Amino acid sequence: MAQQRALPQSKETLLQSYNKRLKDDIKSMMDNFTEIIKTAKIEDETQVSRATQGEQDNYEMHVRASNIVRAGESLMKLVSDLKQFLILNDFPSVNEAIDQRNQQLRALQEECDRKLTALRDEVSIDLYELEEEYYSSRYQ
Amino acid sequence: MATYSLANEQRLRALEDIEREICAILQNAGTVILELSKEKTKEQLLHRQAAAFTASVQHVEAELSAQIRYLTQVATGQPHEGSSYSSSKDCQMALQRVDYARLKLSDVARTCEQMLEN
Repeated sequence: MAQQRALPQSKETLLQSYNKRLKDDIKSMMDNFTEIIKTAKIEDETQVSRATQGEQDNYEMHVRASNIVRAGESLMKLVSDLKQFLILNDFPSVNEAIDQRNQQLRALQEECDRKLTALRDEVSIDLYELEEEYYSSRYQ
Repeated sequence: MATYSLANEQRLRALEDIEREICAILQNAGTVILELSKEKTKEQLLHRQAAAFTASVQHVEAELSAQIRYLTQVATGQPHEGSSYSSSKDCQMALQRVDYARLKLSDVARTCEQMLEN
C-alpha cells in the first residue's frame, strides 16, 4: 500500500517537472531574444570605449544566442519525453488499442471456425459417397 | 502492440508538429539576428520575423501545456495490465485447426488418387 501511494506521487512529480522545464525553457528563449534585440541598439554614450563595448556586446549576443539554442534543444527533449510518457501511460488509448486487437483476432477466429464448419458439412456428404464406393468394392 | 488508437496517433502527430515548430522558432530567431547584423535592415522583415517568433513561442507553450494537462488527467501511476493474449491464443488455435483440416484433406485426396491409379 505504501509502495502504491509512492508511485502516483512520482508520476505527479514527473509531470510537475515537465511543466517547470517548459516554463523555464520558454522564459529563457523569450528573455534571451529580448535582450539580444536590446543589445543591438547602438548607444551614443558608453562607459567604456566603443570598441570595448562592441566586443562586450558581441560576446553577450553569442552567449544569449547559445542560450536560445540550448533552450530549444531542451524543449525538443521535453517533447520526446512527453511522447514516451504518452505511449506508456495514456490508458484510454491503450485500452482502445487492446479492444481493437481483440476484435480483429476474434473476427478472424470466427471466420476460420465458420469456414471449417461449412467445409465439414461438404466433406461429410462426399465422405458418405466415398464410403459407399469403398464398401462395395473389392478393396474392402 | 502494432495498432494505436486514432486519438493517440493524433496526439503523437501534434507533438511532432510542435517539434517542427520549435525548429521554425530557432530559424526565425536566427533570421532576426542576421537581419539586425546588416547595415541596412529591412524593418518589415524584422517585425514580421519577430512577431512570428513570439507567436510560435506562445503557441508551443500553449500546446505543450495542454498535452501535460491531458497526461495529468489520464496518468494513474500504475502499469497497464491489459493484454490481447487470450484472443491471440484462440485465434492461433483456430488457425491450427484449419492447418490440421488441410492436412487431413490432402491425405484423403492422395489416397483417392492412389486408388484411381490402381
